[in-house]
Amino acid sequence: MNLSLVDPFVLAQEYPDTLTEKLSSGHATCLSFNHKGDYLASGRVDGTVVIFDIETNGVARKLQGHTRQIQSLSWSRDGRYLLTSSQDWKCILWDLKDGSRVRTVRFEAPVYIAELHPFNHLLFVASLFEDQPVLVDVSSTKPIKRILPSAPLRPQAPDGEELDPAVAAKQAAQDAKHSTCVTIFTAFGNHIIAGTSKGWINIIETQTCTTIHSMRLCNGVVILLRLASNGRDLLVNSSDRVIRTVLMPDLSQLGIDLEPSAIKLHVEHKFQDVVNRLSWNHVTFSSTGEFVTATTFMNPDIYVWERRHGSLVKILEGPREELGVVEWHPSRPMVVACGLETGCIYTWSIVSPQKWSALAPDFGEVEENVEYMEAEDEFDVHPAEQVHQRRLDQEDEEPDAMTLDSAEGDADGVEPFNLPVLLDIEDSDSGDDVVAVGPGTMRRRTPGTSKEGANGDSEKPAANGASKGTTRSRRR
Amino acid sequence: MDHPNPQPRRRDPRAQSPAESSSDELAAGSEHDEAERRRASWTLQKAFTPQRPKKTSRLYSESESPDELAVDADEYWRSSRMRNHHRSPSPIRDDNSQGGSDDLAEDDVAGSDENQAGDADDWSDRSATPVAPVPPKPEHLNYKEKFVMRGHLRGVSAVQFSPDCSMIASAGADAAVRVWDTASGRLIHVFEGHLAGISTLAWAPDGVWIATGSDDKTIRFWNVNTLKAHTKVFDGHQNYVYQMAFAPKGNILVSGSYDEAVFMWDVRRAQVMRSLPAHSDPVSGIDVVHDGSLIASCALDGLIRIWDTHSGQCLRTLVMEDNPPATCVKFSPNGKYVLAWTLDGCIRMWNYVQSRVLKTFQGHVNNKYSLSGCFGTYGAENVLYNQPLCFAVSGSEDGSILFWDIVSKEILQRLDGHSGSVLCVHTGTLKGKRMVVSCGIDKTVRLWEEVDENDPGSDDDAFSDSATPTPESHSKKSSPAHDADGDDAMTDASAVPSTAATPAEDVTMT
Repeated sequence: MNLSLVDPFVLAQEYPDTLTEKLSSGHATCLSFNHKGDYLASGRVDGTVVIFDIETNGVARKLQGHTRQIQSLSWSRDGRYLLTSSQDWKCILWDLKDGSRVRTVRFEAPVYIAELHPFNHLLFVASLFEDQPVLVDVSSTKPIKRILPSAPLRPQAPDGEELDPAVAAKQAAQDAKHSTCVTIFTAFGNHIIAGTSKGWINIIETQTCTTIHSMRLCNGVVILLRLASNGRDLLVNSSDRVIRTVLMPDLSQLGIDLEPSAIKLHVEHKFQDVVNRLSWNHVTFSSTGEFVTATTFMNPDIYVWERRHGSLVKILEGPREELGVVEWHPSRPMVVACGLETGCIYTWSIVSPQKWSALAPDFGEVEENVEYMEAEDEFDVHPAEQVHQRRLDQEDEEPDAMTLDSAEGDADGVEPFNLPVLLDIEDSDSGDDVVAVGPGTMRRRTPGTSKEGANGDSEKPAANGASKGTTRSRRR
Repeated sequence: MDHPNPQPRRRDPRAQSPAESSSDELAAGSEHDEAERRRASWTLQKAFTPQRPKKTSRLYSESESPDELAVDADEYWRSSRMRNHHRSPSPIRDDNSQGGSDDLAEDDVAGSDENQAGDADDWSDRSATPVAPVPPKPEHLNYKEKFVMRGHLRGVSAVQFSPDCSMIASAGADAAVRVWDTASGRLIHVFEGHLAGISTLAWAPDGVWIATGSDDKTIRFWNVNTLKAHTKVFDGHQNYVYQMAFAPKGNILVSGSYDEAVFMWDVRRAQVMRSLPAHSDPVSGIDVVHDGSLIASCALDGLIRIWDTHSGQCLRTLVMEDNPPATCVKFSPNGKYVLAWTLDGCIRMWNYVQSRVLKTFQGHVNNKYSLSGCFGTYGAENVLYNQPLCFAVSGSEDGSILFWDIVSKEILQRLDGHSGSVLCVHTGTLKGKRMVVSCGIDKTVRLWEEVDENDPGSDDDAFSDSATPTPESHSKKSSPAHDADGDDAMTDASAVPSTAATPAEDVTMT
């Protein structure tokens, strides 16, 4: 509702510029906004998941169930369910309506990343540490796990020609070396995009769990894959210190206009630091996909590139610590990142100055001096009654005070879910150090902070925070 | 019958397009024939005369933007009604011709045929318009007193339906919060804990918590499920808490106080998350728009300010030249307008984007108290009007409750019953019944329910506050309420169009 009143210059600003908030609840290691953008889930080193209300910057819910560091968070489309994966070899699907666990799925290895199907919150993919990635159906209480292939798709041998056993054996040995580090769903969930330790990108059909396309993108390990909101742009962070944006074909056209053999992934940009050869901790697209944002290894800066020309437009500064996970708000120019050392969540956004003319209705802000033209009847005196009556007579419009603008209704047709407001959220969790700094905020550190802090310290936050990057590099 | 000016200048463009209108005449005529055929065979389904839903649904979609066509159609209705009035002295026939004939159609098909002839006349007459007829707006509301809820020891300053309308909370100068059952009018619980009188209350959107703001400078929360007070007291205001409103998600509570500040509270933490440097006089009115992005505040300095919830910045300030103290502000249901009460006896509806007064509602008395009111809808629910019919309702210091149509500014109904100023009015719907609850300094809370206007059983003494009427006794009473209002000729004319709605409701119920 406020769009018609907000300064258009503020609205036109596409990326944030100033550090505005610092959220803190334990040592956060991963972050995720829900689709609407009003809640931010953060996973902590101690396995607790904290959901922040972005509007109040307060804790909206805490979920306790994991015993080790949280690795990934994935929201369902309506914002009611949250899938968390952890180093304790478990994935938990939470119902945020009451904070209960819908499903708990155990694996044989720690989980790297688990992501919910975009339309079905009872289906998810998980990539596992030194294990095959799995597609997990949790629609019944007993989860059904289907193993996804990691090996790249090899061109079919010509008909009638026997493959040399030696070559076949060699290929099999090579295939065995592939392991999948990250799996994500495409926009409609019909396909899974997987990145492997050998730098390959595999496109796997969800229905059949077969690879329909493979492509070698780089030499390093694919650390992270992200899909832009339009579903067609892929962002790849790999251990060769290059961030790539990849244009994808419209996979929903498969079988209609597009043959699997015709799939071609086209690398659009490669973002890298040529001078310092920085490696990138975490990457994300902006809400529109126009910008690419990355946090850097051993460096407290966040880089923002724009994609049209592939140029660096902004380096966000602020905290004095290295930053891990970075996330872009799904609709606003707002970036959040968590510090590796303290586990605080930093927020960058736009601070717009108060327009003073908004406070005084009969004043206006002008760019330069304007010659004032006095209206002919400006100082005419009319009887107050007459003026009043004339004004009343002029009120002949037919306002509609009921009908909502159609654009405001949710376009997805998703039933909106509102997280219940828990008034006793702090009572439920004794030791918490919720402190937020911001304009006009008055936050006090609640007593009993020391317990929480001790837990965090004993786990050596620095090592934990960097673990996402380091465990992967160790595997090479 | 005084109608607003028929605005001949707007009718001109229609006259300039004869080609278009003639083609429509054909279409309209053929549809009408079909309508007649069906009506003869299938008289029960009269609310859905075939030509109406089809065309009006198109209109409805267009009316989302103030479309020229839609506007013209509505105006045409008014103007055509005017013309008919000049021609035929019988208002009843006139109204029947405008779609109100349904009533007769059920009882007597032959009679309806006669009406159809009249209808057809009007059809040809009306064919200049490129749009199908829209049912006429009811010109009156028919709310009747259902319960008088007594129990408060002193004046009642605030009353509100719970989000599902199953309960009513009221609070006032006796520092107690009373929760009533809407269906039976019985008292459910009394919350006590405030040290001074309560000026304002708000239900949290989840319907579990009631927040109250008091002259003891605190805001307290009461749980309706456990019937216990929240352990945390929202303490921070330097002076009396005057008005409050919840953000739609219930995570933020906005309060205005005599200390001239607007506080945004983090409800979960019971702490102020932001203070808006708002006004230079006590902040008397607060409201939050339906999507939570804007806050409106008004103060006794006469300023109405619109704030951005996210940034906490003032986006607009509205003021009348002579700064009458503003005492209450409410967003319209779609958030496009604000309604502001001022102590010059006016309620103004502002287009806040353009900083312009759209409508001024008068007729009530207001020069002393902070009255507060509400928007509401009227008209038959299964009929698609040109645009949803909307009223503004407010109490008055002479003890009555007034309903204004927001388009015509005409008073749709005046409810009497309170013996002192009516301080707060709130609208709600329970089981399809539209209701209004009011409270005043006569220590009572009154529930009013919309009843069918031609319901054969209502009595004048529905307005006596001698005893709490039970629903049964109430329904037996007779005679239309408007007679009690002392309304004149308009009553007769209006009584008929709204019957168009009434039998339709019966059909859907059976």
